[in-house]
Amino acid sequence: MNAKSRATAPVEAARAKRAKLASVPGTAHENDDATFDRLVYERVRLGIMSALAVREELTFSELKVLFDVSDGNLSAHARKLEEAKYLTCTKSFADRRPKSVYRLTQRGRDALNRYLDHVEAVIKATRGT
Amino acid sequence: MQSANAVRIDSHAAATLRYIRASMDAAASVAVPGSAGIAMGSVGLLAMVASSAPGLHEYWLGVWLVAAFLGGGVGLALMTRPASLRGLSLYGTPLRKFALGLFPALFGGAVMTAVHWSNGNLHAIPGTWLLLYGCALVSASVAATRIIAAMGASFVALSLIALLAPDSLQMLLLGSGFGGLHMLFGFLIGRKGHERQV
Repeated sequence: MNAKSRATAPVEAARAKRAKLASVPGTAHENDDATFDRLVYERVRLGIMSALAVREELTFSELKVLFDVSDGNLSAHARKLEEAKYLTCTKSFADRRPKSVYRLTQRGRDALNRYLDHVEAVIKATRGT
Repeated sequence: MQSANAVRIDSHAAATLRYIRASMDAAASVAVPGSAGIAMGSVGLLAMVASSAPGLHEYWLGVWLVAAFLGGGVGLALMTRPASLRGLSLYGTPLRKFALGLFPALFGGAVMTAVHWSNGNLHAIPGTWLLLYGCALVSASVAATRIIAAMGASFVALSLIALLAPDSLQMLLLGSGFGGLHMLFGFLIGRKGHERQV
């Protein structure tokens, strides 16, 4: 193999990989939801949605313990997911203390599933399986 | 040329999948504290000493039954305490799954104890207890950490020795299981929890 072909081989491999990745279904554009990527991609929000996918409901304090985040940080992330209608929040009082219970909506579950499909598609495309 | 700091896109995606799985596991699992294992192990070791004592040896079955209830009670109290302190719900899906995994084999153990006792096969009781308790732990580990499955497997392995061992070694094997294995895994779980906090 001559020097020129050795130099172009990695470029061709990268081009082939880009072509494979181009076939990965997008999340934001295909679903006409421009905020989707940023909403679910963020680590704490992704964790909240994943946890609520396996538990019917979780309280604010349970989520705080699970992800080891501050009250302010958690409430900001939860509010964003609520605004996107990915979560519902029911507020009540238990022993005179405010209690917030979060549940994943069908829209939120669909968003998480789309995100999972996207991540799996990226892995498949890059590993060529 | 690829930068030394470049991260493969599929490794990032794989890490994301691992994070999702870890979040789901954490939300759906019961936190078993190491102190529960150590306390149950202490009860097991005391039962071994008591049942090996010359005056109490003939009452070994009664001694171990008392120890089983005592150890179970202490373990349950310690298991539910940190969860309530940390604000995790005690009666949610994970605890229900943990109990559903645990109880069928424990019930089987109780039935087999009665059968062995009525047939006079007392020598088979220690092996049966170790075997079915190990199976209970392996089943319950679906709603807990993997180390619980490892503890269950260790009990099962010890039960195979107990089922083949002579009568003179049965108390030692019961003590090694319900005392030694509980303490060992309690220590390992506690150390792991401490490392996570540091």
